[in-house]
Formats: sequence, C-alpha cells, structure tokens
Amino acid sequence: MSSQHPLPNTQQPSDVYGGDEVSALVLDAGYCHTRAGFAGEDVPKSVLPSFYGSLKTGDGDAATYRDIFGDECLIPRADFEVKNYMSRAESIVEDWDAATKMWEHVLIKRLQPEKPTPPSKNGLNDPVPDGEGDVAMDDVEDQEKPLAESPLLMTEAPWNTGKAREKVIEIAMESWGCPAFWLSRTPVLAAFAAGKASALVIDVGGANTSVTAIHDGMVLKRSIQKSPVGGLWLSGQIRSMWDNNDPKIDIVPSYMVENKTPVDAGAPAQAKLRKFPYEISQSFRTYEEERLVTEFKESVVEVWRGPGRYSNPGNEDIVRSQPGRVFEMPNGSNQMWREQRFRVSEGMWDETAALPAAESITKAQTIPELIKAAVNAVDVDLRPNLLGNIVITGGTSLLNGFGDRLNNELMAMYPGMKIKIHAPGLTTERRFSAWLGGSILASLGTFHQMWISRKEYEENGAGIVEKRCK
Amino acid sequence: MGSQQGKWREDQVLIICPGSQTTMAQLGCSELTPPTHRIPTRMFKDEETNEYTPYHTYKRKKPNATVDGKADDQWEFVEDRDSIEGAVYPLQGGRIANMAAFLAFLDHVHSLLTTTYHNTPIMLMASPQWTRPDCEAIARYVFEKTKTPALCLLNSAVAAQYGLKWPTLTVVDIGFEKVDVTCIHEYLIVGHKDLGYPNPDREISGGEVFTQKLLSLLKDKKFTYDMAEQLKKSSLCEVLPYAPDLPELMELPTDDITPAVGQIINPASSSAEGVKVVEPPKPATAFGGETENGIAEGKENDEGVLDVANIVTSGNTREFLAKKEKEKAEKAKAKKQSKAQEAESAAKPARLPNSKRKVNVFHYEEVVHEDVQVPISNGAPKPEAIAATNGNASISEGATNNQGAKPEGAPEAGGDATESAVNVTNTERRTKRVRRDIEIGLERFLFADRGEINRITDTIYRTIQAIDETYKRTGCWDNIVFVGNGARLRGLKDNIIQTLNARHLISPSTATIFTSELPSNMATPSGTGSQTPTGSFTGQIPTTSSVNPLLQAATTASLGVPGATQAPGSTAGDAFGSGHHSHGQTPMSIKQAPMPTYLAEWTKNGFEEAMFLGSLVAARLAYCIHNLDAGTQEAQRTMSLNRVDYNEHGPKLIHIHSMMGDS
Repeated sequence: MSSQHPLPNTQQPSDVYGGDEVSALVLDAGYCHTRAGFAGEDVPKSVLPSFYGSLKTGDGDAATYRDIFGDECLIPRADFEVKNYMSRAESIVEDWDAATKMWEHVLIKRLQPEKPTPPSKNGLNDPVPDGEGDVAMDDVEDQEKPLAESPLLMTEAPWNTGKAREKVIEIAMESWGCPAFWLSRTPVLAAFAAGKASALVIDVGGANTSVTAIHDGMVLKRSIQKSPVGGLWLSGQIRSMWDNNDPKIDIVPSYMVENKTPVDAGAPAQAKLRKFPYEISQSFRTYEEERLVTEFKESVVEVWRGPGRYSNPGNEDIVRSQPGRVFEMPNGSNQMWREQRFRVSEGMWDETAALPAAESITKAQTIPELIKAAVNAVDVDLRPNLLGNIVITGGTSLLNGFGDRLNNELMAMYPGMKIKIHAPGLTTERRFSAWLGGSILASLGTFHQMWISRKEYEENGAGIVEKRCK
Repeated sequence: MGSQQGKWREDQVLIICPGSQTTMAQLGCSELTPPTHRIPTRMFKDEETNEYTPYHTYKRKKPNATVDGKADDQWEFVEDRDSIEGAVYPLQGGRIANMAAFLAFLDHVHSLLTTTYHNTPIMLMASPQWTRPDCEAIARYVFEKTKTPALCLLNSAVAAQYGLKWPTLTVVDIGFEKVDVTCIHEYLIVGHKDLGYPNPDREISGGEVFTQKLLSLLKDKKFTYDMAEQLKKSSLCEVLPYAPDLPELMELPTDDITPAVGQIINPASSSAEGVKVVEPPKPATAFGGETENGIAEGKENDEGVLDVANIVTSGNTREFLAKKEKEKAEKAKAKKQSKAQEAESAAKPARLPNSKRKVNVFHYEEVVHEDVQVPISNGAPKPEAIAATNGNASISEGATNNQGAKPEGAPEAGGDATESAVNVTNTERRTKRVRRDIEIGLERFLFADRGEINRITDTIYRTIQAIDETYKRTGCWDNIVFVGNGARLRGLKDNIIQTLNARHLISPSTATIFTSELPSNMATPSGTGSQTPTGSFTGQIPTTSSVNPLLQAATTASLGVPGATQAPGSTAGDAFGSGHHSHGQTPMSIKQAPMPTYLAEWTKNGFEEAMFLGSLVAARLAYCIHNLDAGTQEAQRTMSLNRVDYNEHGPKLIHIHSMMGDS
C-alpha cells in the first residue's frame, strides 16, 4: 500500500503516529455527575449521574445486590435503591467499591472496545462449585489490564485527603494498568480551561460552593473556602418554598404521572398516576424529585441582580410589579411565580433571607463572605491580580442573573479595584470546566514529562502521588 | 491523491450501513435508491483455520463414498447459506462485540459487491456506541489490509439527518436490541442517550423486546421464535393508539366475531405437502398501505418496477429476468387464490379493520429443509455452481422484496434454491414452504409492552430535557423522527408521540400564556425583535375552552399530519426557538418531523432506513463533489480520511477526518 503512495523523503513513517498524541483519558468525578472522556476533545464523551442504582434480588440474608450505572437505568423498579458514591458534604469519594465500579463503567465499558471474555471468565469453564467457592486466580495476572494503553488524568477536590489520593493511584495502576497517571485539582483545571494560570475560582457546584485562589497553577491552600451553598442547598430552599406555598405544592415527579389534563393556574391537578405493583423506594423518589427541582431552577429561579440586596426596601415591590413566570408541574398543576423566584435564591448571598430549611446557613457560608475570606487569606500583593481574574464555574452558576449579582457584590466589596469576571457563555463549558481543563492539560505535549509513570509508581509506591501532584 | 480529493466517480463509492441484524450495502451513490443489498450481519467461525467465513459450512458424507473407498474422499464440505448454526454476530445492540468477526464481515461485504479496492472509497455508517479505539481499529484495518483509498465514518444519527435534511432533529433509532436517541440542533449533536447497553447485564430495548413479549404471550399456543417474529411483522400486530383514560391505555376490541372466523381455520393445511407459496409474508414496508384484513394492495405496482441497479450488480441479467417472469406468474396465481380466500372470509359480519377485531387469523409460513436423494443425472456434483446461483438468488430476492430486518434464516433463498438447483446435483437440500393458519386473539395488541414504550418515551424526554441550552430543546421537541426497522412496528411511532403528548406537554394555559411569555424577553435581549407573544403560538392556540387543547394536540398534531405541522427550519418557527432564550419550560409542542416527499422510492420503502439514504447523500458530498472553493474544499477534506493523510498521521486522524458528529 505504501508503494502506491510513497511518502515524501522528509517524512519518516513511524509506528508511533503523532508522537504527542496519546489517547489519554480524563475523569472528573463530582457529587452530581461523573464525567469521562478523551483528552483533546471539548466535551466529555460520557457524563453519568454519580447516583447509581442498586437492585436487590432475594430476601433477608440471602439478598444480593447488583449495581447499575447510567441515567437510563434509573427508572422505576422493584427493590431498587438509588445511591451515590460520593460524600455530599465533601464531594470526595465515600464508597470506594461503588466508585471503582462506576469509574470502570464510564472509562472502560463506555469508552473502550469490547474485549472478548477470556475463557476463564465466560462461565463455560467454571469448575463445579465444591463448596469452597475459591476459583483459581492464577491467570488473572496474564490478562491484559483494561487501560494498559491509556494514561489517566483524574481530578480531585482541593481538600481531598492524602489517603484518598493514594487509593486512586492504586486503582489506576494496579486494577486498570494505566501506563501513566496524574491527579489535578478541580479549580486549577477550571482556571486552565479559562486560559489562566492565576485566578480566583468560584465554583458553584451541586453539593458545594468553593472559592479557591490559584497562583501559577498552584492552589493557595490557605485560601480554600467551602460551603454547602450549592445546587442541592438551593433545591432545599425551593422545597421549603413549595411546602409553605398556599396552597401547598405536592411534589409529584414525572415518573408517577401516566398522563395529565391541563388545568388553570392554581387549580388542583387532574392527572392519572401510574401504578406500580411494587414499592418505590424513597431514595429513588428523592432522585426523581431532584429532576423536577432542576427543571424549576432552569426555567423559573432567578438571582436578584442588584445593586444591593433583594431585601433592601423597594426591591421586592419592583419585582412584584413585573410579570412572573408560570411553571407547570408534571401532574399539570401550574402556578405563577413572581417575587418568590428571586427570594428563593437570595439565601446564597444573604443568610438572613434564607428560607427556613433543614440546612440553615451562617453568614460565613454565603458567597460574598467566602470570597472575602479567600481573598483575605492571600498575600496582599496577589489580590489585585486575583480580582482581575475571577473564574466562575459550576452548574449552579448558570442561574439567571448570577454573574450580574456577583459583579455587583464584588464592586461593593472592593471599591476601586479592577474586577474582571470570566464566565464562559457556553453551558457545557461552565458545567464541565474542570474536565475541559484536564482535557487541555493532558493533550499538551509538554505535559508528558509530568505524568507519574508506571515505573515511578512501582519504585516509590502510592506515596509518590503526594510528592508529585502538589 | 490528497489534491485530488473528491475526484471519485459516484458509481465507485461503496456504502455500507451495518446493523445488528442486517447490513445494507450498495456500490455507487448516483441514484438515491433504497439499498440494493441486504446482508445478514453474521459470520461463522471456522474451527480449523480460526477464521471467519460468511456462511455456515458443514461436513457431509459423500453419497458415492462407498464406491471410491478412500477415506479422504468420503467427506465433503457444504456451505449452507440459510443455516445460522454457530453464527457469530459481530454487532450487538449497536456495539462491536467481536472486532475480528466484524472486520471479516466488512471484507465479505466488500468482496460481494466489488472486486476492486484501489478506486473504491468506503462510506461506513457507525453506531454512536462505537468507541474511539473501535474506529481506529477499523481505520487501521481498512488502510493497512486493503487498498481502499479513502474511508468515511458516519454517525448513524447524522446519516439519518442527511437523509431527512432537517437541520434540527431528534433521531430516535429503534433497532433490534437497542434504542438510540440523538438530538441534533442546527447540524450539531447536542444530546445523546441510548438503551440496551450492557450495564453490566444487558437490558435490551427495541424491536426484539416486542418479539419476546409476543412470544411469551403466545407460549401456550406453541409459538416458536420465528412464528412470533413473523407475526410481529405481519399486519396483525398493532400498537393501538394511546388511550389515556383506559386502564390498559389502549382500546382493545371487544366484539366477539369468533364463529365466523372459525370457518377459515384450516388445520389441514399445516400438513399439506409442499403447498406452494400463496402469498409471501407481507413486507413490513406495506404498513402505510391499505391494511384491511391484512392484505395490502399495491403489490402489483411493486412488481412492475424492475430494479435495474440490482440486476446489474447481480451479474446474470438473463437468469434474473427469467426468474422474475416466473415469479410474476406465480404471484398472479397466488393473488387469485388469496382473493378467493378473502372472499370467503369476507362473509364475516363486516370487514372490520384489524384493530377492531378481537381475533384474527395469522398465516404462518415456514420453510422446511430436508436432504433428499435425487437420482444422479449427469456426473459429478458441482457444489460451487449451486453456491453461485444460490447466492445471487438470495441477494436479489432480498433486494426486490425491500424487506426490513429479516428474521434469522430468512426464507428468501429458499424457494429459488430449489428451482435453480434441481438438475445440478445428486444430493440436495430441498426447501419447501408450509403454511399454517393460526388464530390470534388480543395478544396481538397486548404485546405492546408498556414498560418498553415507557422506557423509550422516558429516554426521549430525558435526552431532550438534558440539552444544556434550554432554547435548543424546542426545536428538538418539534422534529422527532423515528428510524430503524424496529420503528416499523405498526402504530408504535404514533403511540410514542401520543404518550409523550399526554404525559409531558406543557399546556399553554389560557390564563397565563401571555404573562409567561413576556418577562422572559426582558431578561435577555432577543435577536429577532419579535416581542409580540402571539407569533409564538401559531399552531397551538386553544380555541375554545370546550375543546381540551391537550386532547386536540394528541389527536391532531401528534398524528404527524404532514403539512399541518410547521416545516422545521422554516424561519417562521424560529421566533419561538431563538427569540425566547431564557424561557425555560419545554415541551410546548411535540411533533414528528415531516418526511420528504420527493423521493418516491423511499416513500414506498419507508424512511425507517433513512440512514442509508443519508449515507448516499453524504458519500456524494464527501467523495464526488468537485470544484469547490478553498474553504469548502478543506471542509470536505475533513469529511473523510484518505490514504495520504492516514500514512502521515495514523489511525487517530479518523476522529478528526470523519463524520462522527464530535470534534
């Protein structure tokens, strides 16, 4: 074939095509979503909810559980619980077994070609169980590891524990056989995705909001601020608002509705509900309710843009005079939302405006205070540069009016300083900015000298990650 | 070669659209016709060489072995083109489950259609489930093992879009064991979800689920898989319209007309020897036609048209024409017979449509093989000759029938094989068709598993609602298309749309419609300047309160009446899409995109195979358009990967130089 189209002499054909292009994988695990894909691409190929399903078969002590992953499998089922492998409070891995399985699903099952089942595992050659249940494991070593050809870059929260970091490299190296590995912190990558080496990263995510100062690609540890004021907290506020509404709004997630009939605003719903011949677990229901709340956030909730707080006199009247928005529930009931849609998000900025909910917050946990604390923890000389390079990321930052309000708050806090906010317009960039930064980083030719190689790992053990990934 | 990109002739391009069951393929894209070849996607592993062969081969004792006496000569290898014994299916649920077999299959398809490599660029449709390393492996194989000059991988959803030409679409691809939902907004893929992926166990979704359900319902009647599959494809099986108020969510017929039906049940015919084909199982494509009593008219029209391309590719024109004539005569005879039978059955109380009958009769045809000893007429057996004629017959049959995904061991080649091979060999496999009439009750409606339909509707809902930019969702809701032969199931598409409408449609509530529209415009400046809310609701203004708008929507808009719906992409509808970027809640309307009407052959074939049409169009664009300006030429260059670029950059370039819909 090459004789047909000879290559020019200047170009040597080589077996290693495109030397700087390895098929590195990037994995970014958050509390709400787990994203995975190939370095060099601009969106993660597979985005899965970090929530997964656990199916129970059998009863009592004989019960066995099977985990299933992916949004499409989270449908009403019998004996079905929805779980999450991350910790809500910290956004770091809580259940390592489930985490490994989930990651294998996104990285290997969804992104790697199907491997023919080796004869030892296809069930045809299993020895008859003799009661001991100890199948020979001799040939496990011989099998090719699933990621033997793909370096892996993973993200972590800036407050991740040393133990968790070692565990992660162990999984990557031992179980998956990665040739190279790197661990990077989400705010660093978010700044990177925005094209900045130094920035103040405000990450308003699902479970947490964090503010971190990045200088020359390094996290300034003392600046890290974290609070639960994120998407789920806002969901709590919305639920509280619905509870105290008049009439009280029952949350009927869409899986319960077979069909609905349109009704006038404020009228009781006329819907036919689906009947299930089994019990629907509370965890599944909660997960489904969250979908509904998310839709409400997308289409109704708005942030009071300022200037000043929403609770300042007169503001509420302005909003009330403007037309509101109608939201229709899955069961067809609908209602107009006017001033409430601003009030519900005000707690993020002003703790006194927060609605009474299970999670009450303190002043220090509001976004302006987080920023203040983070900036104050940084050397005075660095502050102007940080305030001139503010990066907003995280899905909850997509709330309507969020950027305007943040700008107003910052102007009020730091009068006379030059404040510049970088907020990507593309929704995907905002939601996946940490992944995107990882994708850019891992596809850089120069990054290849940085990876922790397999050899290094074998020589130094899991502790290497603490030394290298600072 | 790089500078000559796009210098191929239209008749040189090889188009392959692999499916888990059937692969559509054709050489040449000059005519936008339905595929000339439909090839079962399966391979057989040769135990001795460990290679994959396209047909099942088995050893058979030579009948004259005793005469020779030599041990070696006692056995011969025979290819059985219909057998599925030991078949390997390289594609499962869209994924490449066995790469070696898949590559061997590609090779088989290639050699079946053409013998040249060096001037035959390939357009290969790819499922969204194919992984990056999969694509690289295919590129590597194609360029390193064959002399193919260029390869283009085309995402199946994009292919469907090229076939249907709308810029914004939600493509619902209902396959054999998988369902893919892909949202495309302004030619960009903005969302995708799939069903039927191993997780780690596979929960299949798609056409096969319905067959299995039907089979389980008819277990008591001793139905086999083949019978269930044939019944499902017949006009008897219908997914009834979604009836929101009934407990079964469909309106099952209640009238009892069994006594009349009893007359035509003819158990004797099951044992009748070699009953000639009365009427071949009605092609699924005739669904659009008249459906009364399961007999579709317009069959003759089919016959009048000879597929010239098909005849040419199959090589032996004369033989083909002769066969065609014979077929015609036979069918005319059959027609008469079936007419008579119909008259008999018309004695029933009324000619009720299938959906109103409690029971209906299913004519099951079975192909029975048997090895028969035929007196030796003229010398040595010529198994090769059989193979050759057999092969042609099978291919052309499949093509003329225009039939969708065939069940295993599709009976296509059967009858012809008998005819063409009669006086060639001494031992032969005789094939005959046996017909049985079976009475089917409500099972033929109840097989429409609500759980499966709910899975599909939920996936559509979630995929569209998960599009990041809310304003893009509207267009995707308004232009839903169903492709894949699983979607040929009668009434399934309408039922899905009706279900979506009844469950998810946001009603434009009279009291709130204006207020809900206005403020959203205040928030973001709208590019169109159309601030008047009236323009937004062209199709859906609830006229009077007496008419339930939802019901109206479910009964009119959802039935996909072409013309009544707004053409997607027309600027009139865009006031909705681009004007109200911040208005959130969707769907305000749910519609099927209208199908193009200018391709008569495709209208007849059904747009379930629009992916193939799109592949033809894409092949032209990628390989055959000349004299472009510099920018377009560069864009064209990245549509496919040619050999020069491959040699320079390697298989990874396939991700950039392809039409996989991602970067």
